[in-house]
Amino acid sequence: MSIDAPVKAPVGSRRLTHMEAVVEGIALEMRRDTRVFLIGQDIGPFGGSMQGARGLFEEFGPERVLEAPISESAMVGSAIGAALFGSRPIVEVSFGEFLPAAMNQLINQAPNLHYMTGGAARVPVVIRTRVGDGPYGGHPQDYVSWFAHVPGLKVVVPATPPDAKGLMVAAIRDDNPVLFVEPMSLSHARRAEVPDGDYVVPLGSASLARPGRDVTLVVWGSMLPLAMQAAATVSSEGAEVEIIDLRSLAPWDSRMVIDSVRRTRRLVIAHETWVTGSFGAEVAATVAGVARLELLTPIQRVGAAPIPVPSGPLRARALPTSAQIVAAVRATLEGSRP
Amino acid sequence: MTDARELFRWMVVARTLGTTLCTLNVRWFPVEGEEAVHVGSFVDLRPDDAAAPHYRDPFVVYLMRGAELWRLIAQVLGKSAGYNKGRSVAFNGPFHLGVVPWVAGDLGTTIGTATGAALAFKQQRSDRVCVCSFGDGTANRGDFHENINLAAIWRLPIVYVCQNNGWAISQRADSYLPAPVAARAAGYGIPGRTVDGQDVEAVRAVVAEAIERARSGDGPTLIDAVTYRRQGHWAGHIVSDADRAGVVERPDPIDVLGARLLERGLATQAEMRQIHEHAAAEIVAAVERARAAAEVGDAELGLDDVFA
Repeated sequence: MSIDAPVKAPVGSRRLTHMEAVVEGIALEMRRDTRVFLIGQDIGPFGGSMQGARGLFEEFGPERVLEAPISESAMVGSAIGAALFGSRPIVEVSFGEFLPAAMNQLINQAPNLHYMTGGAARVPVVIRTRVGDGPYGGHPQDYVSWFAHVPGLKVVVPATPPDAKGLMVAAIRDDNPVLFVEPMSLSHARRAEVPDGDYVVPLGSASLARPGRDVTLVVWGSMLPLAMQAAATVSSEGAEVEIIDLRSLAPWDSRMVIDSVRRTRRLVIAHETWVTGSFGAEVAATVAGVARLELLTPIQRVGAAPIPVPSGPLRARALPTSAQIVAAVRATLEGSRP
Repeated sequence: MTDARELFRWMVVARTLGTTLCTLNVRWFPVEGEEAVHVGSFVDLRPDDAAAPHYRDPFVVYLMRGAELWRLIAQVLGKSAGYNKGRSVAFNGPFHLGVVPWVAGDLGTTIGTATGAALAFKQQRSDRVCVCSFGDGTANRGDFHENINLAAIWRLPIVYVCQNNGWAISQRADSYLPAPVAARAAGYGIPGRTVDGQDVEAVRAVVAEAIERARSGDGPTLIDAVTYRRQGHWAGHIVSDADRAGVVERPDPIDVLGARLLERGLATQAEMRQIHEHAAAEIVAAVERARAAAEVGDAELGLDDVFA
């Protein structure tokens, strides 16, 4: 759990899964603001892919929970247009593998509108999607790093239930396009205390998930539980890992990462997606550019094997593991054990 | 309601301005021959409606909505006085006048955004509508199909107008349009209409009917306005006679309406000449003012203007 989140259950909190927390964030904003509505597939009585819209259709009806044809480009494009003209839509692209079908709207349109209209237009739209490995095994490819490359798009990847709610509320209230990414392995994972009512996690803020003096470990999304596990293993060997959960890839909290590396002088980056060109490369480059002389050992990166993520039992061999994170942490400690 | 003489004036402004802009910028897209579709499609929109005109010199649409001539010209010259601080393609319109922005470099993207404007109007329970026009080349983008289908299902208040000039840059329609555009409407379960794009009054009538339909909650209409590109794709693009072989020339929309004005006694030759002269003089003055305007600088670069 993030230390930003209350350690002790506050008055009015409930134990929710990641998915329940996302839905609660959406429902709260839909109650508060009639401009908010949801577009997606299977979000009617079916309750959404992976129950991702459970209860919303029953509460808000077909006028605010709009089932769309399988037309991602039109779904995202029309959501962008509605945002330009006074609405605050959330458009659900069921799985991240479908984002490329809406790429033109996501890349050429949404991020450019405010800047290219000389600041006249605002695009308060949330594009919600699910990525990575998950309980049902489908749609595992994780392309999220692509989106952090483009100026004008915000990208968030919550890794805990409270962050899932707080970031969704923040995303809906933001006047810019926000890509809200749900790691599927976390969707129905362990429950955590989620504050009731108005709860906002600012976009662009990382979370210090575990303090430690020896190695900085930067992660996001599905890697957080694996990182915590790896930190426990390394701790039993006498080294303390500081885990930073980025939560937002764009904008990202480089200050928290740099401040941490200045203390630990060692950096490991772990993410479910591939290493080449991933957002981890940006983290590494930023730290190397600022703190090059302060690093005691080379930066280590952990990610998926450089192959399309396979199906079935093969998949476990392709995706990063806690053991790989432990090995990367040990590599940064080698020859310089504190 | 705008009268026929005013329609004539707008088409003359479009023609004269377009010709001027082509001399100022060889990359400008000449509107010559297609003015009736721009004017007829957008003239009857209310100020609170949304307009998403085809990129082929849509300035007359912006002018009809209240844009300032000299600022539009400044935009083509890349000056800071342009509506979008010199940041976007020159044909992007002023957003505050309800123009759906054109910020993507490709075609069809605005069909989605325009459809979204109609979605917002429906969600807000207003009777505002959107008119969205695009070329016959663009009609083959997936966004055309996806959005018209979506708008049909949700009965969105939008009118789709295909400004069908028979060309996609250098390719002739027989290389990309196997059937009339309006015939596709049947596939979405909406009305499809074909109209003579050289007849501004005919375009206006068919669009007005579709606007009425959209406003009263009956959903979208697809209109194929058949027109004629008298120049190349951009100002510097020469289309040879060999390239045009077999393409039937269509009448000049300004001449078509001019003859009617005479016939109906709504204007004399002298008055029409005056309209031409007046437009030309206005444009000369506006070009002068735009030329004198400041160049873009760091303020327009807007490093802090990426997010709202």
